[in-house]
Amino acid sequence: MTVKEKKGLVRAKELYQDRSQRAKELKAEGKKVMGYFCLYPVLEIFTAFDIVPFRILGDMGEPITKADSCLPTIVCPFIRSALDLGLKGRYDFFDGVVMCHSCEVGEKAAHIWRIYMDPSYYHFLDTPHTVHAPAQQQFKGQLEDYQKTLEAFTGKKLSAGKLQEAVATCNKQRVLVRELYDLRKSDPPLISGTEIIEVMVALMSIPVAEGSDLLQQVISEVKERTDGPQKKPHRLLLWGTVIDNTALVEMIENVGANVVMDDTCVGSRAYFPMVEPTDNPLDGLSRRYLVDIKCPRTFHEAAYGDTKKDYIKDLEYRFGYLKDFAKEWNADGVILQSIRYCDIHGYDTPGLQDYLNHIGLPNIYIEHDYSEGALAPLRTRVQGFLELIG
Amino acid sequence: MTKVVILDGDGKTLSALIGPTGPEHRRLANKVMADALARANLAFSEISYVVATGYGRINVPFADRQITELTCHAKGIASLFPAVRTAIDIGGQDAKGLKIRNGKLVDFVMNDRCAAGTGRFLDVLVGTLGLRIDELGEISLKATQKLPISSVCTVFAQMEIMACLSEGTPLPDIVAGLHDAIANRVVKMIKKLKIEPDVVFTGGVAKNIGVVNALQETLGLNVSVPAEPLLTGALGAALLGRELALKALAEGKPVHEKELRLDEPTFFKVK
Repeated sequence: MTVKEKKGLVRAKELYQDRSQRAKELKAEGKKVMGYFCLYPVLEIFTAFDIVPFRILGDMGEPITKADSCLPTIVCPFIRSALDLGLKGRYDFFDGVVMCHSCEVGEKAAHIWRIYMDPSYYHFLDTPHTVHAPAQQQFKGQLEDYQKTLEAFTGKKLSAGKLQEAVATCNKQRVLVRELYDLRKSDPPLISGTEIIEVMVALMSIPVAEGSDLLQQVISEVKERTDGPQKKPHRLLLWGTVIDNTALVEMIENVGANVVMDDTCVGSRAYFPMVEPTDNPLDGLSRRYLVDIKCPRTFHEAAYGDTKKDYIKDLEYRFGYLKDFAKEWNADGVILQSIRYCDIHGYDTPGLQDYLNHIGLPNIYIEHDYSEGALAPLRTRVQGFLELIG
Repeated sequence: MTKVVILDGDGKTLSALIGPTGPEHRRLANKVMADALARANLAFSEISYVVATGYGRINVPFADRQITELTCHAKGIASLFPAVRTAIDIGGQDAKGLKIRNGKLVDFVMNDRCAAGTGRFLDVLVGTLGLRIDELGEISLKATQKLPISSVCTVFAQMEIMACLSEGTPLPDIVAGLHDAIANRVVKMIKKLKIEPDVVFTGGVAKNIGVVNALQETLGLNVSVPAEPLLTGALGAALLGRELALKALAEGKPVHEKELRLDEPTFFKVK
């Protein structure tokens, strides 16, 4: 168990580089490991069943070779990459997978995953795309079904008490993530954007309680160390599609800016919303996952059903939290990044840019192929952007 | 190509040189610099400040600072055309649109990683046509009609051209069509900036009169071209270097933050 003795950032980096090591250890000890796709398969439910949740991610450093045999190349490169890893056997240690209707491609990828990977347990979580009351009810029903299939799979009945305990465990981790993110507010930030990605990817590869221990170690480590990030001329907020690799942020941090805040699903988007404890935990859970996670995959609007819309009011409702992020983390610019072919982020970009321009926050949109090697052309755009914001 | 512009304290050009970059990455930057110094009769130690720009900017060990070609082109062009509000730079690697206000860059667009709409597009296609890149402009002026090139992809455009050659389409018509294809693609891209006059066109492709005409036609605006369009980026870099050096002197700070050596460029670290 020498591996486990490594702590804090070193441990996070290790898990970032070799994601499956801890999950495989736990599997060898007899635990079940469940792969899940996107943010919507509820972590509390896995945790309550004592299942190790393992987020399915891609690998920007790994050329896609096998996925092209089952998918055309003009689809989301992140999903192609995740599927490629699956086809190469990197996720063979899963006891099952939970996929969800994250976005259109997420839904379709679920079929492909089931057909090609044939997991022994497979569940598709139907996730509505709107946030009004009937949608929440529908989602709650889906969570009940999801719980039942896991009960059948594990042979264990889940009590409300167990689920409430898991809510507390996951909420504790979210509080710690906030605490860590607070350490990015100083200038220079106490932890770099690159390190944050390593920590977040590590959290998505181990059980929630272990993740909290890791977070506590990282928090005390970065508070005490003297060799943290340097002060740089700019502090940026990074918005956009999944970033599960450090290359893009490293490039940005090498041209004169610290990435001090993010709104991506391997960052604040995944951890900031809390679950409100409710008598039936599924009420709080369905609300948190469906309504409070602000991902462009969900339709949010200021006044549901209002036909005479005030554009700015609507933008304020949809993106106002980013203004708060920029203010609290003192960001002087926003990088909107998107993986090529991401429709949900692409369609949110014009409104978001209008909003950022409206509040006077400089911003630039960049897109990439979800490939480490193809980032160099973005360097000029990012550096040019920093030069023009002064 | 590697370009060097050396300015004196008053901003007067002492030396301006265009040299090869060389196929072996960017090994020749220091040699072009040495040539430029020799022309101005200067020693490297007499240079107060060096700004490196362009794709190779991060490979130049003898630069005090690297600034993107976006900012440098804007600066260089504005020094030559103070009324500029939109600049178009079409070089060998990419095409850019710059929005300039009061001599400063305020917004920009760049083409994607694709050769179409850049000098490379012409570079690839001259081979198919059996022509030299520097004769394209003149030849296109003889066109009686312009061949519409439907594809925006360099490789597909090449196939289209081959088909037209086999049908006997006159060369000038094909070349004029290529120029139109570039102008259309670039204008489409820079429209995001809301094009306003004065418009200046720079970069290697601005030496091609056919593309200049095609741009003017597509834009419906007059387009000015600098006397030496290859050098506006280097000129801007030199002007920015001069400003930075003068600012450091005025603030009583050391001009150089590190020791500079006129060495071969270093390369990207390979993981």
